[in-house]
Amino acid sequence: MKISDLLRLSFNNLKRRKGRTFLTVLGVVIGTCSIVLMVSIGVALEKSYDEMLQGWGDLTAIEVYKYGSSTDNDVKLTDAVVDSFLELPNVTVATPVYSPSVSLQVVSGNNDKYQAYAQIKAMRKSAIEAYGYEIVEGTMPSEHEKSFTVLFGEDYAYEFQNTKKKNNNYVSKYDVDADGNPPDPFVDPMHDKFYIVAKGWEEDSKEYRVQLNVSGRVKGDYSKGYETVYGMIMDIEDVIAIEKEYNKLNNIKTDKNKERTYTDAIVKVNDMKNVEDVERAIKAMGFETYSMSSTRDELKKETRIIEMILGGLGGIAMLVSAISIANTMTMAIYERTKEIGVMKVLGCELRDIKNMFLSEAAFIGFLGGATGLAISLAISKLLNTIAGSMMGGTKMSVIPPWLAIFSLCFATLVGIISGYIPAVRAVKITALSAIRHE
Amino acid sequence: MIKVQNLRKVYKVGDEKVVALNNISLEIPDGEFCCIVGTSGSGKSTLLNQLAGLEKPTKGKVSINGKLISKMTEKELAKFRQESIGFIFQSYNLMPTLTAVENVAFPLMFAGVGKKEREKRAAKMLDQMGLGHRKNHKPGEMSGGQQQRVGIARAFVGRPSVIFADEPTGNLDSATTESVMEMLIDISAKNNITFVMVTHDPELAKKAKRVITLKDGKVIADTRDGVSLMEEDLAIAKEDSDADKNKNTDETIKSEKNAEKTVASEKLEENNER
Repeated sequence: MKISDLLRLSFNNLKRRKGRTFLTVLGVVIGTCSIVLMVSIGVALEKSYDEMLQGWGDLTAIEVYKYGSSTDNDVKLTDAVVDSFLELPNVTVATPVYSPSVSLQVVSGNNDKYQAYAQIKAMRKSAIEAYGYEIVEGTMPSEHEKSFTVLFGEDYAYEFQNTKKKNNNYVSKYDVDADGNPPDPFVDPMHDKFYIVAKGWEEDSKEYRVQLNVSGRVKGDYSKGYETVYGMIMDIEDVIAIEKEYNKLNNIKTDKNKERTYTDAIVKVNDMKNVEDVERAIKAMGFETYSMSSTRDELKKETRIIEMILGGLGGIAMLVSAISIANTMTMAIYERTKEIGVMKVLGCELRDIKNMFLSEAAFIGFLGGATGLAISLAISKLLNTIAGSMMGGTKMSVIPPWLAIFSLCFATLVGIISGYIPAVRAVKITALSAIRHE
Repeated sequence: MIKVQNLRKVYKVGDEKVVALNNISLEIPDGEFCCIVGTSGSGKSTLLNQLAGLEKPTKGKVSINGKLISKMTEKELAKFRQESIGFIFQSYNLMPTLTAVENVAFPLMFAGVGKKEREKRAAKMLDQMGLGHRKNHKPGEMSGGQQQRVGIARAFVGRPSVIFADEPTGNLDSATTESVMEMLIDISAKNNITFVMVTHDPELAKKAKRVITLKDGKVIADTRDGVSLMEEDLAIAKEDSDADKNKNTDETIKSEKNAEKTVASEKLEENNER
């Protein structure tokens, strides 16, 4: 028997009992909808967590810190230790992070007309290059660049204030004109001259200034730090040099023999999945660590459980619909006993009878799955519109392509499985049933 | 040729055994139009079911064209039915949702014939039956006689070598019965098809070349063109014709001995069943 004939026959059989077919399909529709929507809510939850985490920080970065080391024997974050982090497998970047103890300003224009607070991320020159910053303007400072070469954050120019004016001394990026273009800031990072100024809080402290060489602007990315937007990235040695010069100028004494220690370091790993191992290794060296990735894993586990509970709830509806398919098919076999007998007498093969019933059941499943998916997509859209207006942009339900394809296949499979026992029963009907007169 | 050897069918009803067919042996040559007659309970329908392979015999063999159908599996039977057998039902058994053409083409579908080809053949068959104007009607829109002619077309469309019919005129009035019967005899003869039908009506059976009469699961009469084919009848006929020439008592003794033998073997069989 040809497949096309088999399918046509099955389809006609379903058409013959429209009412019952409709009700059975409806069961599958409800089952599919409940599974798809439940899972879609779980997926949306996971996605929103991910987005949230991404906003918080880099998933491949590990923060290493050591606070309040009381004894001298205790491990300290020294340059040598940071270098040893680089030796660990899968580590791509390791750099100390330094916060200067002196207040720093960036100034520009006549009489330092434009000023901004110097929000600095100070790290090793080699690390700046390897950290994975994207450049939107200019170039990355190279290893051999002269000192005091910095990268500005994408919108750092908007941080500059006109100190000569009392009012209206700010330019906001968001004051767009009619065409939606943002206004020009007071300063032009790539062409204006900038100085970094170190000055204490005391009135009599002497200031130390040095000219900056802005090599470029990085793309703003909060996961890589606030500085990529409203600050600047600088070589750690330059920052320390400025501090030293300032201290010299103001006769502040420092212990020159003492080895430099840091409170924080950043370690970057080549892949998210290696974060855990590297973290463990660093912890074993006696440091404390924090990574977005470990937080994420915890949250992931939680969402997984929520997803499973939601999917299970949907699964119950699907189970009920599977039973209703089996019931419908069993009824059909009772009604069609004579017909099946006649088909056998006319030379229909066993396998064709079985396939006919299986494809009827599969068709119910598929039809229910497809309709259920369509309805789910509509409901999902509706949910997102409602949620969007209430919660501002967060999606409540996400149906990724894999879920759509899965739901279709699953509904069809449920049909085939529920139709299997009835189909086997149909095969067992004897040809003699055709002759028996009722 | 249909060949039946020592066919026996026993049904179990509760603890009791009912012998429906008792040691039947017969041969139906190719192209013969054969009627199996008997009252209800005579075993005529059971015999037809055995011949068509719808049921397995308790004992004995049935072969069609040299193929032992009583030993075939369901799968082999399906193929054999597609290729060599047609079947006509008393209650037509047409598919209610299919049109006349589709109904006639139905068995060809199982054999894997394409839609266009099979419906062409079905349409031609219906034209021969004088139902050309009813091709696209569904069974519910046709009279009993028309429905049965569709059923007949369905049996003939696959060009089988044997057609079985179970009371094909049972649900028809006498005038229609007459025309349907003539049609069956005519088409079978034209296509050299072996036709085996069951009927309870001895008058109708008279139209057939071969008439096998059953009673209590046994063949009580078997005639071709009105001449008996039964062994004892043949023997008597021969005796009658030979009577004048010389009285050969040996023959009678022989046949009597044979009869004794069969009785003995029957008893053996029954013992075996137990």
